[in-house]
Amino acid sequence: MTLFPAARAVAIKDLTVEIRARRAVGAAAPFVGTVLVSFGLALGPGRTLLHQVAPGVLWLSVLFASVLTVRHGWAAEMEDDAVEAFVLAGMDDASVFLGKAAALTIELLALEIFTVLLTSLLFDRSFLGQPLLLLAALILGTIGLSVVGSLFGLVASSPRAGDGSLPLLLLPLASPVLLAGVQATGYAIAGQPGRAGPWLGLLSAFDLTFLAVGIVVFEHLLEER
Amino acid sequence: MRGTSAGGGDTSSALTVLMSISGRVPVLAPASRDPNRSSAVSLRGLTRFHERRPTVVGVNLDVDPGEATFLRGPNGAGKSTLLRLIATAIHPTFGGGLVCGRDLIFERSGIRPLVELLGHRGRWYDDLTAAENLRFVCSLYDIPTAGIDAALERVGLGSSSGIRVRDHSEGMRKRLSLARVLIRRPELLLMDEPYAGLDDGGKDLVDALIREAANRGSTVILAGHERREGLAGRTVTMERGAIVTSEVGP
Repeated sequence: MTLFPAARAVAIKDLTVEIRARRAVGAAAPFVGTVLVSFGLALGPGRTLLHQVAPGVLWLSVLFASVLTVRHGWAAEMEDDAVEAFVLAGMDDASVFLGKAAALTIELLALEIFTVLLTSLLFDRSFLGQPLLLLAALILGTIGLSVVGSLFGLVASSPRAGDGSLPLLLLPLASPVLLAGVQATGYAIAGQPGRAGPWLGLLSAFDLTFLAVGIVVFEHLLEER
Repeated sequence: MRGTSAGGGDTSSALTVLMSISGRVPVLAPASRDPNRSSAVSLRGLTRFHERRPTVVGVNLDVDPGEATFLRGPNGAGKSTLLRLIATAIHPTFGGGLVCGRDLIFERSGIRPLVELLGHRGRWYDDLTAAENLRFVCSLYDIPTAGIDAALERVGLGSSSGIRVRDHSEGMRKRLSLARVLIRRPELLLMDEPYAGLDDGGKDLVDALIREAANRGSTVILAGHERREGLAGRTVTMERGAIVTSEVGP
């Protein structure tokens, strides 16, 4: 099977498992709610401060929730050693990487719709300044998180890796996404598309870099898992 | 089928490993120099270390196409590891060989579509149904899905094809793996303790699959403790990672 049909099959399988079990987004959505409420309580009732930090809190919640989503996504592969089926099928391993990243992107975007609505409600902050710009920031940032998550989720799911290895790997590597996502979202809310451009460029560069890295190294990671 | 450890007994096997480490013997058998290109499996000095401990030691093994071989030995003898090495699920530490005419080191992706490993774990997704899991297998191997219903009926899972695998018993999971064998019809079938967890009907089904595979010219290597009469033409015994005997006949 060629690269993209195989990637599509992997993505459809992952989404079917998630829709059936609701283990990834199902676990992450209550977590996001808890994080947002906790930040709100910690920051206090000051409306100006809540408005200022809303983009940061939004992206931090998504980043933390992505750890849960990635972990659950890879747990399904490890339960009955299903991940070995990818190796033994002799398929292009890049298709597994792309398929898993695509499914994770869709799952995280669904989670972000919920997160944006909840942040808007709890922080009394409208995100509709530049909706298309906001959408671009969310999509590009989510692709970045998904690509890095798919790559290092496999490493962290290895029996040799410790329980805490996924956040230790994922959170520092995803810090450019956090930084650029917060800035681009802030400017989207403020209706300043010109100033968001460089941050969207950084997100695009991050996505392309880790897509290329994943396509190259995923085969090795899968073989040596 | 011919099978020996490099040098024969345990002492010489250990010696082979030591010599391999020190570089005094060739660790790879280049495909172009191997006289057994026509063998379904032809292994030379195959060795696997796991956490610094040798689990398969200097195995030389030749299996002819269409031959059914029974691989036996005590727990920890290296049977499962050897099957996983042949299936390219893991890499050898030293040695090499040919599987279905492809080099075990350099042509691994060419071997994989031709081999089916029925191992201890089924490689199933618990939250998909039996039929959905098999459809995904078909998409991985790019084979038609038309045979799924018939395969599930044949293994006795026709009425439970819509049930999530999470709710399957161990025997049902093993039967689902047998359905994968039916759908794939591999050139080389590697079965690791295929009777474990199966009732008498399931064991008869395994026997029937082995006979059918042999009839269509596929090669079967069957590892386990339970030898069923009239299936394998040769018995290979492993101990402590090495092949110690190879006997023809039932």
